Amino acid sequence: MPTSALITATVESVINKLLSLDEDSEARLKALNGARLTAFVSPLPYGITLSFSDRVDVLSEQGSFDDVVASLGPKDCCIKTSLQTLPELKETSQLTRLIQQKALFLEGELNVAQQVSALFQQLDIDIEELLAQKTNDVIAHQTLKTVKTVHEKSMSALASMAKVFGNAVVEEKQLAAHKLAVMHFSDEVNALRDRAESADARLRRLEEKFK
Amino acid sequence: MSDNQTPATQADSAIDNATEHTTHFGFKQVDKGQKASLVANVFDSVAAKYDVMNDLMSMGVHRLWKRFTIDCSGVRAGNKVLDIAGGTGDLTAKFSRLVGPTGRVTLADINLSMLKVGRDKLRDRGLVSNIDYVQADAEALPFPDNHFDVVTMAFGLRNVTEKQNALNSIYRVLKPGGRLLVLEFSKPTSEQLSKLYDMYSFHILPKMGQLVANDAESYQYLAESIRMHPDQETLKGMFEQAGFEQCDYQNLTGGIVALHRGYKF
Repeated sequence: MPTSALITATVESVINKLLSLDEDSEARLKALNGARLTAFVSPLPYGITLSFSDRVDVLSEQGSFDDVVASLGPKDCCIKTSLQTLPELKETSQLTRLIQQKALFLEGELNVAQQVSALFQQLDIDIEELLAQKTNDVIAHQTLKTVKTVHEKSMSALASMAKVFGNAVVEEKQLAAHKLAVMHFSDEVNALRDRAESADARLRRLEEKFK
Repeated sequence: MSDNQTPATQADSAIDNATEHTTHFGFKQVDKGQKASLVANVFDSVAAKYDVMNDLMSMGVHRLWKRFTIDCSGVRAGNKVLDIAGGTGDLTAKFSRLVGPTGRVTLADINLSMLKVGRDKLRDRGLVSNIDYVQADAEALPFPDNHFDVVTMAFGLRNVTEKQNALNSIYRVLKPGGRLLVLEFSKPTSEQLSKLYDMYSFHILPKMGQLVANDAESYQYLAESIRMHPDQETLKGMFEQAGFEQCDYQNLTGGIVALHRGYKF
């Protein structure tokens, strides 16, 4: 079974489902009509192309980055980056720096990349309203309220657990060093390394002298 | 017939003569002129339930095979695409969106019933602006030379009487630089899968056809026609004989299906 086709089919249906849940996305999608964005994200073995019409078609790209760049149309954009760099692409101010650092290669129409980013970042899905359509207003409101409370409480419990665990490991069981102790130790190691390098340089100079 | 022929050569020549005028229809040998109408009967009979049966028979995997074909097509906005034996328009629907308003997709099928089902389905989905419907025989395509950027044929070639003629005809209508993609049932690469597949094709498939489409015979033909279709290497050779270059193929689902690709330069 072609795995790439299974992945693109899943991604495609998720994207189109999400877009259909936000009425305002129609206008943003219309602005992209006829455009294509291809992204090669290492270590993924192939590129993914998003082709925009009244919906989004997702294709796996069989050619290389250079092949795609060679056949770019006027409304096409192709990017090559890595999975680690991907979160940084949210900040448009970082693009120039990433390109200079060769962490991002971008060819074609930059506008397309920006519009695609806006299409997904501006997604505004009213989950409560959707749930209310399936159930009723009261159930939807209570469910969302419960989910929010559970989420807040779990996050707070997790933070508190992390604090308790940290104290237990450092103070009570003394299995790990305190943060300040680690910083002090690191400083001492750095100072020792500097002294060792300095002694090494002096030794070399002495060797040169006696040759 | 010359007088100096021995009875053995006369018999050989009679067999050759018969072979020249017959072709296979499933496991049966039929007159070449008859095959097209026999195939037409099969598709007239299954057209209405074609999509349902495809999903059932392949457990939905046919959609992934077709999607992979589209991925390999390299279709761009503004391209002219010919989808031969396009049936109910699975590939055409996606091509229509990919080529956009500046491109065109031609859905061709020799069978009018299939073409009508495809046209209705695509129109219901709102795909109307850039699709043409043509009833055409793959062996004699009614299009000008060097006309299409991409030609695809999914699960259609094995039903064509003279496959080599179809490939030659496709080569003629493709633009230089264009590519042909043929998605077709092929030979499984593993012996065990082959046995399993045979059992499924000859015992389960016709029963499924009887149950859902009330037509066991058509699905018996489907299984037989798959076995009579050239294997991967033979078909690749036929591509080369038609003039295609950089020909290759990719086995899908253990070789149950293969995607052949060739370019015209």
